Amino acid sequence: MSTAVRAASTSPPTSKVPEPSRSRFRLTFPGALMAPGISILALLSIIPFLTLIVMSFSRVRLLGGLQLDWVGLDNWTRVLQDMDMWASWWRTAIYLVATLGLEMLLGVGIALLLHRVVRGRGLLLSLVLLPMFVAPVIVGLLGRYLTDSTFGLYSWALGKLGYEGDILGGSASALTAVILMDVWEWTPLIAMITLAGLTGVSPSVLEAASLDGAGYWQTLRHVVFPSITGILLVAFLIRAMDAVRYYDIITVTTNGGPADATKTVPIRLFETAFRFFDLGYAAAIGLMMLVVTILISKGFVAVLQRKV
Amino acid sequence: MSVSETQTTTRQKRSSQLMVWLLIAIAMLWTLVPLAWMLAGSFKSSADVTASDPQFVFDPTLDNYRNLFTGANDLTPYLWHSLVASSLAAVLSLVLGTLAGYGLSKSTMRRKDDLSFWVISTRMAPIAAVIVPLFLMFRVAGLIDTLPGLVLAYMTFNLPFAIWLMTAFFDDVPPSIEESALVAGCTRWQAFWHVVLPLTKAGLVTTGVLCLVFAWNDYAFATVFAGPSSQTLPIAASQLVTQTGIDWGQLTAIGTIVVLPMIFAGLAVRKWLVTGLTLGAVTGE
Repeated sequence: MSTAVRAASTSPPTSKVPEPSRSRFRLTFPGALMAPGISILALLSIIPFLTLIVMSFSRVRLLGGLQLDWVGLDNWTRVLQDMDMWASWWRTAIYLVATLGLEMLLGVGIALLLHRVVRGRGLLLSLVLLPMFVAPVIVGLLGRYLTDSTFGLYSWALGKLGYEGDILGGSASALTAVILMDVWEWTPLIAMITLAGLTGVSPSVLEAASLDGAGYWQTLRHVVFPSITGILLVAFLIRAMDAVRYYDIITVTTNGGPADATKTVPIRLFETAFRFFDLGYAAAIGLMMLVVTILISKGFVAVLQRKV
Repeated sequence: MSVSETQTTTRQKRSSQLMVWLLIAIAMLWTLVPLAWMLAGSFKSSADVTASDPQFVFDPTLDNYRNLFTGANDLTPYLWHSLVASSLAAVLSLVLGTLAGYGLSKSTMRRKDDLSFWVISTRMAPIAAVIVPLFLMFRVAGLIDTLPGLVLAYMTFNLPFAIWLMTAFFDDVPPSIEESALVAGCTRWQAFWHVVLPLTKAGLVTTGVLCLVFAWNDYAFATVFAGPSSQTLPIAASQLVTQTGIDWGQLTAIGTIVVLPMIFAGLAVRKWLVTGLTLGAVTGE
């Protein structure tokens, strides 16, 4: 490998034409640096991916030694015909639209507010960011503490406003609660990214707009938003991918209940795999989820290549 | 502009400024009350922590923290597992990710875009979909309930994150800097190690801290892969939730222990958080 390094270093790095003498399989310097990381990543990603595909066509038995029995398309026909599964997809869609919608709306709102503060903006931003660092499982448990029907602070406050009832016990209120817990944790991310975009809008453009007699909202609509759409899109896509990824909050608050009201796809997948140990079926669900995130990542990369 | 007109605009300005501060105050309450309530709860006696009327004024006690470390279920091993697994996963991901990120940034290979896309899609893969095949592989390899298994599990998301983010940081270093080092007689390794790497110090710290936060905060992987000899702090927190009831005093204390170090770590790299958490897509505060 060391000879390859030296051979590469003697050629000027700017030359784009590959030397004809270089063997096809000899590692270049960048290639040599990439090799360890990329090989381990391949081990941790391609093998599980292939395993997942094989599992989705098998019945996986764990007792008495691991055994995979080929069952063809059984898991796939099941996953497409399972009405409970479609209900979970629908619920996941609602959950995603609600969390992402609220986070974008509130995040942009908070960023606009902070952008109008001149002194102390840094401190305020730091305070706003705090929920982002809290482990999602703690967010869920803290949510339970706050909404407990006998001693929860938020239940108590809602009781003063006339709302009685067990928040995590009712279908609609439980779904709302887990959505709001996610909103609490991740709105700061959107606010932070948007604020970065707003700070990037050149002051001279804003000045020109105000000299032209444009009001605050007009300036926002016609000058500020058009110049930060790329950044907003990045924020949205990053959040979307993570919202599909994580399910810790729901696991420790309602675990899908009451009466399946919060049973999103990842919760159902987890339950299928590790409560019913139906790993083949879980693998089929997992591959469907993977397709969804790959589509979102495609969007993310496409936005990046347009150079935000 | 007449005098009265100026007065109305200043009055408008003042009232809109008041509105801004009012809304900021509401946002701050929404953000900080849960954290403050958790912190307060961790210093409350068991009667105060579950009092049906919230106790805003109370006699602070350290009992919850003391019980965590002296009771039947000592927290020390959990803390140790969390520290070892998350810092090992962060360091390994950072080292491998820095090398690979530099390679990827400088590479002129033909399928480079496909390689990058594969890296980012690995990072974004749904955790539940990753856990299922890993569970099978770890069972075969005997990695269930071991710290190395947990480290590997954390690297499934931290390694692609580190590669992708470090690539972005290296892309920002002007190629002319490295070229002049090469002209001055450095080998490519020397140019990388002595010239380029020191310029990406902020990137290294940010990537390392974020990897640490992601691994430390993990719950999903640990529920499946960790057993009695590898359980982490988030698992300890969830174990306090039992059929017979929840010790909220201890739970808020564990919550505080889990959250505080990550808040300090995260705020220490605040300047580069935007770059880090958008995976290099957006730069600057």
